[in-house]
Parts: sequence; C-alpha cells; structure tokens
Amino acid sequence: MIMEPLDLYADIYDLVVKCCTDISPDVKKIMQNAIEVESSPTARSMMQAMLDDVKLAQEKDKPLCQSPGFPAVYVTFGDGTRPGNIKELFAKALVTATKNGYMRPSMVHPLTRSNPGDNSGVRVPNFEFDYVPEQEFLDITLSFKGCGAELGNAMKIFTTAQLGKDYSGLKRFVLETVTKAGGVPCPPIGLGIGIGGQMDVACRLSRRGISTRRWDDSNPDSLYASLESELLQAINRLGIGPAGTGGDTTALAVKIEGASTHTAIAPVAISFHCWTARRAGIRLYPDGKREEIL
Amino acid sequence: MARRISTPLTDDVVKTLKAGDNVLISGVIYTARDAAHKRLVALIEKGEELPMDIRGQVIYYVGPCPAKPGMAIGSAGPTTSGRMDPYAPILMENGLKGMIGKGRRSDSVRNAMVKWNAVYFAAIGGAGALLSKCVKAADLVAYEDLGPEAIRRLTVEDFPVVVVNDAHGNDLYEQGVKEYRIK
Repeated sequence: MIMEPLDLYADIYDLVVKCCTDISPDVKKIMQNAIEVESSPTARSMMQAMLDDVKLAQEKDKPLCQSPGFPAVYVTFGDGTRPGNIKELFAKALVTATKNGYMRPSMVHPLTRSNPGDNSGVRVPNFEFDYVPEQEFLDITLSFKGCGAELGNAMKIFTTAQLGKDYSGLKRFVLETVTKAGGVPCPPIGLGIGIGGQMDVACRLSRRGISTRRWDDSNPDSLYASLESELLQAINRLGIGPAGTGGDTTALAVKIEGASTHTAIAPVAISFHCWTARRAGIRLYPDGKREEIL
Repeated sequence: MARRISTPLTDDVVKTLKAGDNVLISGVIYTARDAAHKRLVALIEKGEELPMDIRGQVIYYVGPCPAKPGMAIGSAGPTTSGRMDPYAPILMENGLKGMIGKGRRSDSVRNAMVKWNAVYFAAIGGAGALLSKCVKAADLVAYEDLGPEAIRRLTVEDFPVVVVNDAHGNDLYEQGVKEYRIK
C-alpha cells in the first residue's frame, strides 16, 4: 500500500520550517547543562548566546543560522507503508521555504558553482530510504546539517591491526580529526562515527547516527555505548571549546553506528554536526494518525 | 568587558588589539565569500580598481539570508574563514585591516597579518539570527549575480566578536585550547 495522505505536503513544509527555526529540545537541554559546568566564562556566554539565538529565531520566525546546511531526508517504511511521491513534495517545500525567506539559496552545481537561487538541484534533498518489511508505519525525518561541519569530515579504511589494542587506532583517528577541525564545525559539536560495511556504508552511518538520533539517547549496543561515552569525555578534554576559542565543552554527543564488514577491512567514517541540531520528523500510520518524532 | 571599536580601523587601533579580546564593532563592514574574493583578487592582479576602497576596512565572511520585510538583513552568522585563505594576504597587502569569520587561518594568512598589521576576529558560528540584530543597514556594493554571496556594505552597531589573531602573531585558537586542555 502506498501512503500518500492528501495533506502530506503541509506536514513536509512544516518540517522544513521547523528545521530552519529551531533545534531539537534534547540538544537545548544538553547545552543548558553544559553551561552549568563549563569553567570558561567566555565559553559560557557563547553557549548562552547560542541558546538566545534559537529563542530569537523562534520569536521572529526566522532562520536561526544564515546557512540551511545540507537537507537530508531519512525515510523508513514497511510493506504496507510505502511512501508516495515524497521526493517531489520535499523538493517543492524547499523551494517554497526559500521563496518565503526561511532558507538562503545555497545549493550549487558542484563544479561551476552556479546557483539556481531556490535550493533546487540534482539529488536535493539527499534521501535515504530504509525498507523494514514488517514496519507498520512510515517515518520521515528531515535534517539540516551545516556544511562548515562537513568540511571537517574524514574517512579511513583501517585494517584489523590498525584498529589497535582496545581500538586505540580508531580513538586516535577520532581525536586527531576533531583537533584538526578546531572551531570550523561550529562547536560544541555532535560527532557521528560510522564503522563497518564498505566506504559508503560507513559514511552514511556516520551521518545518519548524528542526524537522526536524539543526542541524549544511549546506544543499545554496549560496546558502542561505552566507546561513545569514552570518546565524548576524551574530546571534551581537548580544550577546543565553543566556537573553538577554548573551553571544556567541545562536543555535546558522540553517536556510533555499525555494520558488519569484510575480514580485510574496517572502514571508519566521521561526520561532524554543528551545535545547531536541526532535525524534525513525523510518523504516519495507514489510518491517517500522525505522531511527531523527537 | 568588551571593548568598543569603530571602523575603518587605524593602524594604531589594530596594534592595541590582542588575541582573546572581546570587541564590539560599530561602523561599516563589507561582506564577501569565496566567489567575491576570487573576483576582487582578479581585479588587483589586473591592476584594476576595486568596487570599494578596502584600505582600513573589515571584511565579514558571510552569506546572509534574505531580509524579512522591515529588517535590514536576514540571519547573518560567519562562514568558514579558511576558504578565503588563498585570497586574504593580497587584500591585506592592499590595505585590508580586519576579517571576521570562524575557524583557523593558514600560516600564510597569519604571517600576512603580522606583516601588514591586520587582525582576524571570530563571531559565533551558527548564531545568525542573533548577530543580524546588530546590522542596521545593508546595501549592495557589487556582484549582484552572486546572490547571497554578493558584496554588501553593512552598517553595524556593537557587533560582538573576539580577536583570534592579532598583529603580533598571537592565536586565540592555540592559546584557548592550551588553557583548557586536560592532559
């Protein structure tokens, strides 16, 4: 069965506007908690300014950041909940939101850099479809991911030996990558780490984890959960701080997603997310019921 | 306490700015990103006149959102400065005194700041709505075809920044990280 509720476009347009003007509540809360324990006064005032920025964007109904980042849509569906033509609906919603002043025209040709001026473009937004046969609902999550953050991304194909004892090679790679990125990815960051599969799988998992999961959740896999917490603590000892000008709060979350891989390889990908965790989602049931995904 | 300065920047003011200083800028600053920088540098290399006199001026690396009715400008936070590194030294050689953006600069840019007595400020990345409150007017100067990347003359009031690189070779990104790093 194809799910195409009549007013799905309105839902999708609302997701777009929400992503322009708000960050997810879990990230606001983590940031608020970080302000309480941060030892640098400058870092504290910067994080307060970030929260003030979101509040102002909400009040004035305007984008919280001048850059909409890269829009990506994550869709999971089952046999009875196949999505209809959401590709066209999302493309239309982005163009309309641009016309309505919510989005700066930021999508350009990869080589000529020509800008159509309305955030339309080839493979815009970036879709990921996940088919879960027995799933009885349709989940659509939109994420706007900053592209200053994308500048810091890294990917490496490790061997078993290179992973190191207690995964020390992997941890070093993560810490070196975060150090190198410094203030560019708009810290405090969220860090997505994808491990396994082939190169593209690790890359997609790294982006998916930090773009779709709540930043305050815990990983159901105990090994990944312990690595997430160890790496988060290690990153916050680096001293980079909010905006990169020094402080205890460099990262708000680390999210690891894994996939089985081949004996010869261990692909590891790192996706940076800026502090503006712009994500919004909706769950649709065949009977027309809708739920917000947080 | 933040220090108030106004543009254009004199050599004397630039010399007194130190990495880590919180500064509120008032006056005129110019917007430009990669594409505009490429065109400005091409003009300099051909010996042609620039669309604005950059002597003593400050360039803000930003591509703002369109303005809502009644507003001077839409959201306007800093973009990644490193992308302008290949173009920045020649602008400083021609009199540019300040840059506003986010993220670390290359060695050649840092050396040029010492050589030409210029300064690099960081604004808070992502806080585009908040920063736009300090922009009182925005006028197109050149390259309208670049859309959000066109050069605009912004009149700002108490625009909050922090000095990252001063003209004496100091770097807040290095100092700050050193201060808060836990071994």
